[in-house]
Amino acid sequence: MNQWQGVLLSLVGIIATVWLGITGQLGLYIHPRYFVFTIIMAVIAAVLVVVAFAVVPRPSDEEALLDTGGRRGRWLWSAGSVLIIVAAVVALLVLPPSTLTSATVKQRDLNGSASTLTQAEASGLVGGDYAAFTVRDWSSLLRQGAGEDFFADKTATVTGFVTPDKSDPENVFFVARFFVSCCAVDAQPIGIPVYYPGWQDEFKTDSWVTITSGFKMNPSAISDEQIVLVPDTITPTERPSEPYVY
Amino acid sequence: MTPGRRRKLTYDVHMSQTLTVRRGPALRLTLGLTILAALILTRIVSPPTGEAGMADAVRDFVTLSISVVIESLPFVFLGIMLSIVVQVWLPEGYLLRRLPRNPLARRVVLSLLGMLLPVCECGNVPLARGLMARGLTVAESMTFLFAAPILNPVTIITTYQAFGWDDGILLSRILGGFLIANLVGWIYSRHPRPESLLTPRFQDTCALGDHHGQPTGKMRRSAVLFTQETSAMLPALFVGAGIAGLIQVGVSREVLVAMGGNPVWSVLALMVLAFVIAICSNVDAFFILSFGGTFMPGAIVAFLVFGPMIDVKMLALLRTTFTAKTLLQVTLVIGLCSATLGLAVNFLV
Repeated sequence: MNQWQGVLLSLVGIIATVWLGITGQLGLYIHPRYFVFTIIMAVIAAVLVVVAFAVVPRPSDEEALLDTGGRRGRWLWSAGSVLIIVAAVVALLVLPPSTLTSATVKQRDLNGSASTLTQAEASGLVGGDYAAFTVRDWSSLLRQGAGEDFFADKTATVTGFVTPDKSDPENVFFVARFFVSCCAVDAQPIGIPVYYPGWQDEFKTDSWVTITSGFKMNPSAISDEQIVLVPDTITPTERPSEPYVY
Repeated sequence: MTPGRRRKLTYDVHMSQTLTVRRGPALRLTLGLTILAALILTRIVSPPTGEAGMADAVRDFVTLSISVVIESLPFVFLGIMLSIVVQVWLPEGYLLRRLPRNPLARRVVLSLLGMLLPVCECGNVPLARGLMARGLTVAESMTFLFAAPILNPVTIITTYQAFGWDDGILLSRILGGFLIANLVGWIYSRHPRPESLLTPRFQDTCALGDHHGQPTGKMRRSAVLFTQETSAMLPALFVGAGIAGLIQVGVSREVLVAMGGNPVWSVLALMVLAFVIAICSNVDAFFILSFGGTFMPGAIVAFLVFGPMIDVKMLALLRTTFTAKTLLQVTLVIGLCSATLGLAVNFLV
């Protein structure tokens, strides 16, 4: 059992990786620049696993004993091994893949940390093709402090998930995305504030929406946000196949 | 191991050799492919989407842990493959013979080995194990382990792209990483019984690798090493990923970020962040850059030097090889050095 623990865990990891790759969901966990490398290594490892099944001899009892530090430790050790394998199978092969939720937004300070663009890049955005701007572009401009005048005649069309504003959750929510530089672990939430009183009645937190709207001064007196989207209508939408931005 | 246990063990081996009926390769292969098919089937029949009735925090814990596994696994595989190449396919002493004799120069060269092997830090652990099995000393392997993720072309390029020459961040990172790794190597080279720094299990692996029960044929030896190394590394990786996911869900990042402006606290806060986030050294510069101007340069340097050497995932992986006491000491030394470096940058630059 112990000898095969690594091979079994490899198999679980390989199958999960390849399946995510085939179904186009690797992007839920890692940055696209790793897709090719990850799949190639998974395939090579799969070959090694099959070879190992064919040629690795049964361990002699001496090796098995050394492995576990004696017979008494063996029981406990095996229980631990089984537990890890079961947990891996459940997490990687049984549970449906999923994006991060607003629970993580709360932990990670929406926009507080991630402008995700340097000042230079953000000023490069000014005068760009505003129709193609993403949540990331707009949130960078907002954070950079471009004034009310700048936003007055602009219209944003953005897609993201709904997450409540901390200072005025009744009237304001954010249309948000996670910005990922390596994998979901480093994901940082970014978002654009939206003034839409009673939004909770229409949209669930974490549901995906598309909004087309102009920017206005925030009508909410208690919200910390100054400039917000004030849309007439909000269209519910499916989670995009690439939920994170890079 | 006590002499008594050794005697009993030899006895057991004799018994087992007469008693064990060896299963044929065809049978084992069939069994393996059956397990493979069963696991694939599990994935296919399991629900492809949905919430599975879990609370958000639990779901995010699972997502974050999976993300660490999926991200690190290819690097661990690559490290294991390199380790197999070093142990099986390269002629005996091919690498070690080329190293300088003088211990100090030897460690300096080893700390630059990462330049040739651009592997993420989690891939370096199996490789270092392979090198130790081939005769590298414990202190030398530590120098390699801690220097390689920083003195690595990909890391240097991404750090340059992120920060350029600003505030001496790039230079402090490269020089700091180099000096700290060599300091750790020097400290442990003076240890009277270096083998006591290793876990008994890994000592046995090294001892076994030398002379005992070596199957013949390079292909077969590679396959045996692959099963051994995955059995050592992957449980550690999976447990490490679970712990990393748990900490991510439990520790509020806001608290750490809030301390960013203070010259002293920011250094410590970012070291804690580096420890819990367990991000690859290849991209950590971009990650910390995205926090914008909130942090002092010294804090960023401490993050960029401490993180690649020590974090939750690395400690779980290193624990396969080093004793807990050793890892505690190493963490303290590297932590103190990184903090000193960060404070120096904050107050001097």
